[in-house]
Amino acid sequence: MNDLGPIFRTLLRNKLGALLIALQIALTLAVITNAAFIISQRASDVARPSGLDEPNTAIFITTMFDPNIDQRQLYRDDLAALRALPGVVAATSIQSIPISGSGWGDDFYTTPEMTSDESINFGMFMVDEQGLQTLDLELLQGRNLRPEEMVVRSLESLEFPRVALISKALADAAFPDGDALGKTVFDDPNGEKPIEIVGIYDHMQNAWPHSDNVDRTMLIPSIGMFGGEMMYLVRTEPGQRDAVMAAGEEYLEQNRGRIVDTVRSYEEQKRRTYGGDIAMIKLMTSVITALAAVTGLGIVGLAWFSVTQRRKQIGTRRALGATRFDIVRYFMVENWLITSIGLAIGVVGAVSLNWFLDTEYSTGRLPLWYLPAGMAALWLLGQLAVLLPARRAARIPPALATRSV
Amino acid sequence: MFNYYLRLALRSMRRTPILTALMVLALGLGIGAFMTTFTVYYLMSGDPIPHKSGVLFAVQLDNWDPNNPPTESAKDVQPQLTWQDGQNLLNADTPALRQVHMYASGAIVVPEGDEPPFDETIRATSHEFFAMFDVPFLYGRPWDQRADQDRASIAVIGRELNDKLFSGENSVGQRIQLDGNFFEVIGVIDDWQPTPRFYHVDAGGSFADTEQVFLPLTRAIDEPMGPRGNTNCWAPINEDLPVMEAFLQSECVWTQFWAELESPEQAAAYKDYLDNYARDQKAAGRFPRPLNTFLSDVNAWMEVNGVVGNDNRVQLRLSFLFLLVCVLNTVGLLMAKFLGKGGEVALRRAMGASRGAVFTQNLVEVGTIGVLGGLTGVGFAWLGLRAVETLYRGYQHLVNLDPLLLIVAVGLSVIAAITAGLYPVWRVSRLQPAGLLKTQ
Repeated sequence: MNDLGPIFRTLLRNKLGALLIALQIALTLAVITNAAFIISQRASDVARPSGLDEPNTAIFITTMFDPNIDQRQLYRDDLAALRALPGVVAATSIQSIPISGSGWGDDFYTTPEMTSDESINFGMFMVDEQGLQTLDLELLQGRNLRPEEMVVRSLESLEFPRVALISKALADAAFPDGDALGKTVFDDPNGEKPIEIVGIYDHMQNAWPHSDNVDRTMLIPSIGMFGGEMMYLVRTEPGQRDAVMAAGEEYLEQNRGRIVDTVRSYEEQKRRTYGGDIAMIKLMTSVITALAAVTGLGIVGLAWFSVTQRRKQIGTRRALGATRFDIVRYFMVENWLITSIGLAIGVVGAVSLNWFLDTEYSTGRLPLWYLPAGMAALWLLGQLAVLLPARRAARIPPALATRSV
Repeated sequence: MFNYYLRLALRSMRRTPILTALMVLALGLGIGAFMTTFTVYYLMSGDPIPHKSGVLFAVQLDNWDPNNPPTESAKDVQPQLTWQDGQNLLNADTPALRQVHMYASGAIVVPEGDEPPFDETIRATSHEFFAMFDVPFLYGRPWDQRADQDRASIAVIGRELNDKLFSGENSVGQRIQLDGNFFEVIGVIDDWQPTPRFYHVDAGGSFADTEQVFLPLTRAIDEPMGPRGNTNCWAPINEDLPVMEAFLQSECVWTQFWAELESPEQAAAYKDYLDNYARDQKAAGRFPRPLNTFLSDVNAWMEVNGVVGNDNRVQLRLSFLFLLVCVLNTVGLLMAKFLGKGGEVALRRAMGASRGAVFTQNLVEVGTIGVLGGLTGVGFAWLGLRAVETLYRGYQHLVNLDPLLLIVAVGLSVIAAITAGLYPVWRVSRLQPAGLLKTQ
């Protein structure tokens, strides 16, 4: 490394040029570490399991507008028809879909004395006895809902069910001692509207992916008739989903007096709900790619140009006995020096940028290991970018030194 | 002279095509990325109704749970009103010039003939909506107070729906079928899309299309047409009453309320009125929290509701840094290029060109790169906005390249290029011709 000195002194002769690249690398480090952090956060949100058999689940939503149709009977007919389709494992009516962005939230009280600030918030889903199987939930304790427990919730009657199934997360939140099964909770304060917990299932998310307690959910045996909207969830055999969606849509469209609003796979629904996060992931990925390209190409361009400028000097060095490897090494070391200066500034930049984004927009604290990772990536980028012009420099013949321009 | 410099610039750029392409591409990418996020941000944070945004006020009352944390600002209070409070204010003799009480609903439109039925969103509102928000009419007119009182089966429809159902003809006097009921069309409004859709900024709905059907609020409630949008309740509802009746009397919030207040004095008087109303309600046993009433004008209301998302702000900041990197990159490349031009400059200087002439000539070259970069940037911005449109649902009104922004984009690029080029150009015009002509 005894040529470090001359390289450094040469750099000092073009301080501004070197500083410009260093600054560019500093900003690049600041932006890519923060963008990569945003990507990883969003990606881990999107990857959380909803609890459903995601690839094999389909959603059907229809709206009835003919007031002469008996909605309760239509529900029964639809469910019978959907369950009879080949490839269907189970189907249920439901009033909102987990991780769909819109649904029902509620609170319950574990004692009649509890006040509303202590009550426990959860996502509520109205299903029938096939709900558990359709949603692909595993019953950890207790029993399933029974057909005779179904109640109707509509503008005419707001019957409240007597029993419910809850998720393990909700059970743990309400009864930390693990004895939730068989307990009675109250939907209203002062011990009103008691509900018995008859079963506890493993895991299901509520309707709002960014809510605080996304895995506290409850299934109640009921059918909702608030207006004409009717929603079904269907779970299929592996590989049968698309065929079931087509057959189901064909069946629903035969009925006059209603329209088919939505026939959608659960995966598509999840992509839509997480649209903002997926967009952020894609935009941040583009930013990282474009930054790497601009910075990398910038280094190539500058080095290429500097090789052209120094042809005569390089030829002279070669004539004085420098090997091709010495020439390549010169450019690599030069780049490494500039990049290192840039990265030193960039670490401060990355931490400041993260501090700003976190204070202003609560993006979270950047884990420190992003810094060495980003630095390693940029060192590598710099070395790769400079390699091509450096090899070109190495091919300059020593004879060039003897030629005049 | 300019043309000559331009020709020289183009010739110089052709001599170093890769370097020039890199500069134009880098500038273009930077400008394109920044313009994309800036366009979205600009349209999101735009004033949706500039000539009236200072006199239209969203009304908030606090009927909420006494056990909730204390209120510090309008953000901590429910953005919507209960049915009863909205109706009480609407029907009272308040100091406001106009008031409107409304909610979002929807129904299935059943066309005559063989066309399939389809879903439409509906705005159920009291009659002054149209005058208050300056809604342009194509045919007919809005309804009046009388129609609100009579709970009339009438409707104002949007231009898009009128095109669909009546091929764009004047449909006043015709009727439309919503679910099982007929409504007489009394007016057709022209295209009207305030961005953001300030009068109802439900979560996710801030940039939604305006509704295509407007009905008297009282008529929609008679039906009843249920609310589509957030409905929040904290207190149990009265189970001895029929469900809809109990819902209307409940502490559930789901309606929007606005007041038009022409002067600060009127606004102050209206605020006093609201405070007194809240005190009366407290006396009657409602409103268990401390006295919290809020009036926010349109722009303040957009702020309260966080209409511009944090993601958009983060994107804007990062794309600005990206632009900065691209400019730095271009400065570096320009420096390299211009320092390499020493020989040519020396020759021109020796032939009698003044320092100023060399400076101007090179500035023209830098400016040309700026213009090319700007135009490339506009192309990238267009692509970027198409990408944003596919990535985000409901951004259809936020991805149009504004003509003013186009000029700004190209201008920005030229300024960036000239700033980037000023130092190298100045350096090169300072070179001593004699020294350079001798060596090399």
